[in-house]
Amino acid sequence: MTAVVEVEGLSKRFGKFTAVNDVSFHIEENTIYGLLGRNGAGKTTMMQLLTGQQFANSGDIRVFGESPVENAAVLGNICFIKESQSYPEDFRPRHVFASAPWFFQNWDAEFADRLVADFRLPLNRRIKKLSRGQLSAVGVIVGLASRAPLTFFDEPYLGLDAVARQIFYDRLLEDFAEHPRTVILSTHLIDEVSALLEHVLVIDEGRIIIDENADTLRGSATTISGTKSAVDAFVGRRAVLHREGLGGLTSVTVEKLDAADRTEAAAAGLELGPVSLQQLIVRKTSIPETEFGAQS
Amino acid sequence: MTALSPALSASRSFESPRRILAVTKLHFVNRFGMIWMPLIVLGAIFLLNLAIWWIITISTGNDNKANHVHLGYSGAVSYIYVYGIIIAVQAISRTFPFSLGFGVTRRDFYLGSALAFVVLSLGFAVVLTIMSVIEIATGGWGVGGRMFAPAYFTNDSWVLRFVMYFLLFLFLLFIGCAGAAFFVRWRATGLTGFFGIIAVILLGAIAYFTLAHQWPSVAQWFVSAGPIGVTLWTIVPTVVCGIGGFFVLRRATPKN
Repeated sequence: MTAVVEVEGLSKRFGKFTAVNDVSFHIEENTIYGLLGRNGAGKTTMMQLLTGQQFANSGDIRVFGESPVENAAVLGNICFIKESQSYPEDFRPRHVFASAPWFFQNWDAEFADRLVADFRLPLNRRIKKLSRGQLSAVGVIVGLASRAPLTFFDEPYLGLDAVARQIFYDRLLEDFAEHPRTVILSTHLIDEVSALLEHVLVIDEGRIIIDENADTLRGSATTISGTKSAVDAFVGRRAVLHREGLGGLTSVTVEKLDAADRTEAAAAGLELGPVSLQQLIVRKTSIPETEFGAQS
Repeated sequence: MTALSPALSASRSFESPRRILAVTKLHFVNRFGMIWMPLIVLGAIFLLNLAIWWIITISTGNDNKANHVHLGYSGAVSYIYVYGIIIAVQAISRTFPFSLGFGVTRRDFYLGSALAFVVLSLGFAVVLTIMSVIEIATGGWGVGGRMFAPAYFTNDSWVLRFVMYFLLFLFLLFIGCAGAAFFVRWRATGLTGFFGIIAVILLGAIAYFTLAHQWPSVAQWFVSAGPIGVTLWTIVPTVVCGIGGFFVLRRATPKN
């Protein structure tokens, strides 16, 4: 595995507001990453920094081993699809797809045509007149058909209906299998993309708080439910990520349990369940930082 | 990072010159706003002028010269020059964030856009020159009307007219281009500041010529330089705008 992106001590401030705060991580080649976090956590700024659209205040960014800022060779391998992308005056989708091959050397026009049909995108309608979902479809099609070695999708499917979103996930996976590349996807719909993601980066208040393989992350917490007294007895001094109760029943989310723990829990008549990626991230980003500082 | 260098070196050959041309082409993908719209309006203005000239000619008895009727000062063509500023501002401000999403550097975007403006100036200069040649050959469309070769531009050869049209377009497109760079970098504040700078420069020049009682020599300069001399001097502000716009845009970030 080789690192496509290496970030070291990266910070970006807008006036007094620190959008990205001393962040270090790397991104492996040919992997699908999820860049997750709440609104204003710094996801878009992070993507803009990696694509040379924003200038860092401090720190070091290497993309394909070089700084991306004003670097034509690096940027020529990048496609950045933004939810809020603006298009030239009076552009129509067909204009976008006609000009894309001039910029993306791997552009697959047939694939683009197929996606246009899948998404039922009107090619000849002015972009200004497209619905929110159709506008997102334009970006999604460019992002997929460009087959850029490093593709960023920033909230790419705002307004897309459930069918269209499923088409996006399916086509991405199919095409990824044939043409491996590095994809970084930022989203709120964590559970929907959960199956897609191989690695998860969670950013909160400008810091990377989780940088973990998706499968490891999914196994990193368990829900325990049962009577309040039994649960409390079992939990003891374990770190509790979340707790909810209804009547005499309680359900808590705790960090990874080993085999002995599981046996003990079963003996105590407790029920163990998996925690979805979304719940896990919600729980980890909504509690004070010190409480999950211990997790590896 | 040696393992990744093949990916980069494979794309190096694909880069800058090709991307600059790609940006130039991008500006002409949607020809309507860039080319047809200004020409259609220009055509409509021309037809209106023609109608007015005919009405005047018929009502004054078909002999404009004998009746001392002058139709030689139509400022109608200046429309397309002012429109040039709008074209440039729109082209830069709308295409900039789009191009960056397509992985274009600011440098390549600016150079490609500048090339597009040169091409556009050439195109419009050709159209205006052809119309001016016809205008002169037909004695002002048969009625002594002057729109494409108004008084200041009448006497020179078509080659000189072409050069003047071209330089004037270039001048206005690059003013628009520099203004748009300020807009892209600092939004509305930047655009206001840009026109503020121009206003201060103009005001400074006016103050200087007035206080030093130099207006007669200014007038004399305009006469001695002639139309071609004056338009040749626009190259200076055109180049200043072109270079200044480059450095302003070089640090701009796309905002939506």
